[in-house]
Amino acid sequence: MNSDNPQVTFIVGEERCLSRIISRAEIEPLLRSLVKAGPVRAAVLDEERLPLCSQGDDRPLEQLREIRHPLLVEGEPQGMLVIAVDPETCSSAEALALLARDALQLTITNNLKRMLTTEMHTTIVQESYDQLVETNQQLVESERRYRELATLLERKVEERTAELKKAYSRMLQQEKLAAVGGLAAGMAHEINNPNGFVRSNLVTLNRYVERMKEMLNLYQLLIARNAPLLQLREETEQRRRALKLEFVVSDSTALLEQSVEGTDRIARIVADLKAFSHVDETGDCDADLNGELERIIAVLTPQIPPETAILRDLQPLPLFGCNPGMLSQAFFNIIQNAIQSRDNGLKINISTARENNDIVITVADNGCGIPELNLTRVFEPFFTTREVGRGTGMGLTVAREIIRNAEGNIEIDSREGFGTTVTIRLPHKQITTDRTTHE
Amino acid sequence: MIEFDEQQQRMVLKLVYYGPALSGKTTNLLTLHDQLTLDGRGDLMMLDTTEDRTIYFDLLPFFYVAPSGMKIKLKVYTVPGQVRHDATRKAVLQRADGVVFVADSHAAQMSVNFESFDNLEKNLALVGLSFEQLPLVVQFNKRDLPDIVAENEIRSAWGPTGLPVIMASALKGWGVVETFREVLRLTFDAVNSRHGLTERYGVEREFFLAEILKVQQ
Repeated sequence: MNSDNPQVTFIVGEERCLSRIISRAEIEPLLRSLVKAGPVRAAVLDEERLPLCSQGDDRPLEQLREIRHPLLVEGEPQGMLVIAVDPETCSSAEALALLARDALQLTITNNLKRMLTTEMHTTIVQESYDQLVETNQQLVESERRYRELATLLERKVEERTAELKKAYSRMLQQEKLAAVGGLAAGMAHEINNPNGFVRSNLVTLNRYVERMKEMLNLYQLLIARNAPLLQLREETEQRRRALKLEFVVSDSTALLEQSVEGTDRIARIVADLKAFSHVDETGDCDADLNGELERIIAVLTPQIPPETAILRDLQPLPLFGCNPGMLSQAFFNIIQNAIQSRDNGLKINISTARENNDIVITVADNGCGIPELNLTRVFEPFFTTREVGRGTGMGLTVAREIIRNAEGNIEIDSREGFGTTVTIRLPHKQITTDRTTHE
Repeated sequence: MIEFDEQQQRMVLKLVYYGPALSGKTTNLLTLHDQLTLDGRGDLMMLDTTEDRTIYFDLLPFFYVAPSGMKIKLKVYTVPGQVRHDATRKAVLQRADGVVFVADSHAAQMSVNFESFDNLEKNLALVGLSFEQLPLVVQFNKRDLPDIVAENEIRSAWGPTGLPVIMASALKGWGVVETFREVLRLTFDAVNSRHGLTERYGVEREFFLAEILKVQQ
């Protein structure tokens, strides 16, 4: 738009001619007064010696006297004031001419000054305007760049947020895997134990079966031979004793019962582990939190120090709509902390209760406690006081995240050397409205 | 050059007194006006000022007519020194044929001098004039005052530039005409080498200088 504006360029010092500095209208009143004061005519000639303005009558010059004064522009004579007087009638002609010249000269100089000032001013205004336009363009450009950057930044933030979300769910997954992995060692022992005696029972039972087969074969042989009853009774009795079948039969029953009990134990452990890991579940459903807690205690059993007292005070709770796999991970982390808080004489109180519309779960131990200095930092990611390799520093971080996702909150109260109490408060919600139809 | 009309045998040249605020540019022109004869020069025209500080420019015109009829008009300008009047300085500097840089000799003004000189260099480039080729004279003014930087110090600082450096006191009236003579001489030489003033128009440098620099009796 501004490029269409005609730009006026002034060169400071450009030569100016008289006719452009002073106008006829400015000269005329002066010359008119001059003529009234005596002279016959008065005229101002421009740089080309052409009359710019003239007043008076055109009486022939022969009877008159002419007075000429140059008019200066920047010190240079450019025009001429010409006055014709009748020497008879006008005595003060010289003085009048000088007066008129000075007045004209002053007007010329002042006009020139005004022109130069105006031109200079216009030039400066023009330049300021150009600068403003340029600055404005730069501003528009930088605004555009900033907007681009902002959009880019927004996109980056979105990307990072998505990444973070992914990383977070990966972290939960890893935490879960770590927990299951940590459980595996203890579980292996728990499973190996029954598995071992079941196997040894089976080996023994196999031997017993051989003896029973031998006994049966004897019966079959004697019957096939049509042996007399007396002989049959004597020989079988003898073999029965030799094979200790009395004991074998009664022991078999005991071994079988024991084995069934052993496989049941394995099945229970696997079921607990499976239930704890919630491998089959995805998403939210209604969960029995007391059941979850029991299972967590069960899977943690191998890690519990000997002679530990675990007291449960689990009040009946309504089903709780949540992601049970997640929530059990949170409980697991908290209970595991309690288990690791002391080596002997450990007492853990686990209680659940309903308070108004909230479900409150409390895990209290009489363990080592948390120093006051660390109390504010326990939820920080990677904060751990355990030696390298023993703790990830993520346990409570993850627990808090899970509980916050369930719109609950977690509080830790601890005194160093006396124990720690963790209180979890979850606002109750249920996914299925009618509990009976669910069951 | 403002104008060169070969047919009319008329040349209009421009000289500019540049420099930091209050270094005495206008005083230089006033002194020239007082010391040089009225014959061959016009009056000093001072455009609007605020509190006696130049805000547009001052102009002192000179005339010389060679025996050949060649007319040379010389317009000598000052610029406003204050930083904020940069647009005016640029406008005045356009088409300059020679520059006098008036520096303030006061010890505290050295950095201001350098800033202004940088500004001159920058503005010359902006108006399309070559700093290397433009006739340029440096005047250290206010030599009559106390707390001034010693002359040998100035000479060792400015010597490497190869520019003529002249000591002056415009207020006391000395060094001013010398400065003017130096810039006139350089400007004449520069114009002469481009347009052949002497060869083609019979303008002799010494006559030209003597005529313009005629001191008032």
